Amino acid sequence: MIINFISMNGYGSFVWLSFGIVLISCLVLYLKTKKTLRKYEKEFIAEFETLSESNKKAVLEKSRIANQILATNSRAD
Amino acid sequence: MIKFLLPSNIYFFLGKIIKFINSIFFLILIIGLAFALVLSPPDYIQGDSVRIMYVHVPSAWIGLASFSLISLFSILNFVFKTKNLYLINKSIAPIGLLFTSLAVVTGSLWGQPTWGTWWAWDARLTSMIILIFFYVLFILSYKLIKKEDLAVKVSSFLAIIGSINLIIIKYSVEWWSTLHQPASLKLGNSSSIHSSMMLPLMIMLLVLLLYGALIFLMKYKTEIIKMKKKNVKRL
Repeated sequence: MIINFISMNGYGSFVWLSFGIVLISCLVLYLKTKKTLRKYEKEFIAEFETLSESNKKAVLEKSRIANQILATNSRAD
Repeated sequence: MIKFLLPSNIYFFLGKIIKFINSIFFLILIIGLAFALVLSPPDYIQGDSVRIMYVHVPSAWIGLASFSLISLFSILNFVFKTKNLYLINKSIAPIGLLFTSLAVVTGSLWGQPTWGTWWAWDARLTSMIILIFFYVLFILSYKLIKKEDLAVKVSSFLAIIGSINLIIIKYSVEWWSTLHQPASLKLGNSSSIHSSMMLPLMIMLLVLLLYGALIFLMKYKTEIIKMKKKNVKRL
């Protein structure tokens, strides 16, 4: 039964290869996208840390997104 | 409405939606794979090779839908000059490229056992390859052109020109005699696919749509952070 399932009446190599290619390429794009997102979050925080205290305050007052990036990162830490 | 869709208003929700999709994705993926690989019946002519349809068809649909959205947003961007639409297009393009390429590759793997060939230069297959080229050009336009205004213009122009190819893809199987079969599913018409195959097809479509949404949200979030990083750098 398992051999029948794997061989799929002779079409196994085509079917498994199709599903395998789809799953692997989707996984690769997911990991790459996640890595890039983390990289830019870290770079944003590093950039923010270089600002003077007054500039930091100004950014936090003006930008809700900056607040959220910093909040998300502090939770992740 | 447009104000609500500004990055500053939706950024908060992006993380929450990403978490929600992550929490349900694996369950739906396992259900989809169980239906596609085990529970759905083999075709009476194509046998088990028909299971390739469950990844090939949704991939092709998402590839075409992504470019349609990019074209639509490019037209809107020409009219309203909203940077947000450009960021959305940049986030959709890699998903469209991935799924169009997957549709071509899985189509080739399906073609060998059913048509007896990996590839034929027929209208449908050739127009799908042209779509891949448009995606590549679109992505290269904003990767290589450093001036943002020019990049927006060039990429929007490519997307609008590329939309002509979408019409050719859609009607290629009706206008020309092709190896590729005509559409089995038509909006407003009854389907020629049995419900035992339609259900796995719809579940796999949902799986790949959720995956596409996940990648889109992560890429869009990255684009917003990049924009904010530039603003901080200017201080």
